[in-house]
Amino acid sequence: MNWLTVALIVLGLFFLVVGSIGMLRLPDVFTRSHALSLTDSLGGLFVLGGLAVHHGFSASFFKILLVLGLVYLLNPVVAHATIRAAYRAGLRPGKGEQDDL
Amino acid sequence: MRVATALLLFALWLALSATLSPGHLVLGALLSGLIAWVNPVMKPQRRLSLLAALAYQPWLLGRILKSGLHVSRLILTPSLPIAPRLVRQRTGLSSDGELVALGNSITLTPGTVSIDVCPGEVLVHVIDEASADDLVSGRLERRIRGVFNTPEGPR
Repeated sequence: MNWLTVALIVLGLFFLVVGSIGMLRLPDVFTRSHALSLTDSLGGLFVLGGLAVHHGFSASFFKILLVLGLVYLLNPVVAHATIRAAYRAGLRPGKGEQDDL
Repeated sequence: MRVATALLLFALWLALSATLSPGHLVLGALLSGLIAWVNPVMKPQRRLSLLAALAYQPWLLGRILKSGLHVSRLILTPSLPIAPRLVRQRTGLSSDGELVALGNSITLTPGTVSIDVCPGEVLVHVIDEASADDLVSGRLERRIRGVFNTPEGPR
């Protein structure tokens, strides 16, 4: 593990932790989706980037890049589908929705 | 098109599974075929500019990083100073590829999430006014126009 790997993964963990805090603090499904994009876009990017640097140029390096590309293509689709479903089910932002969990 | 999609998925399967055992190959082939078959075919994007598409990635990454820090600050501020609202934004983009790029970019960027995307209009939820800037100012749309070589102006 060199310093760049450690720095990237720690940075990624920072965004994962902030995203989790956001998931708890933010009031409804819409605002919480913004915390989700923090963990997906930045947490995933830096943790996977750190792993890619750790592996150096090898088969694993390109596999990680491939996974990163898939994360960037697919995660927004899933987030969008979830939010659109919430919207179509009648949820609206800023109404202080009940949290039963 | 469906055959090309299936082949691409199968290549991806081979690259990620890293084994050539018959069971894996059969499962991969079945899944590739099934996924290509059930999904709608997207028209190929003929006017896509590869150079602009490559230049778009680091730009988007920069915007994601900037918004990420902004949203992180909002979340970590004790008073939670968010001002969420819906933005209905007119757009001149209309082809499948353009709308996928627009919707995905919006959702990837912390602080904005696309609720509905249709030709000519997107419905977006923003966490505060600063997060809406790239969208409302049309900066994001101009970038995507560049990638797809879409002529300027409303449809």
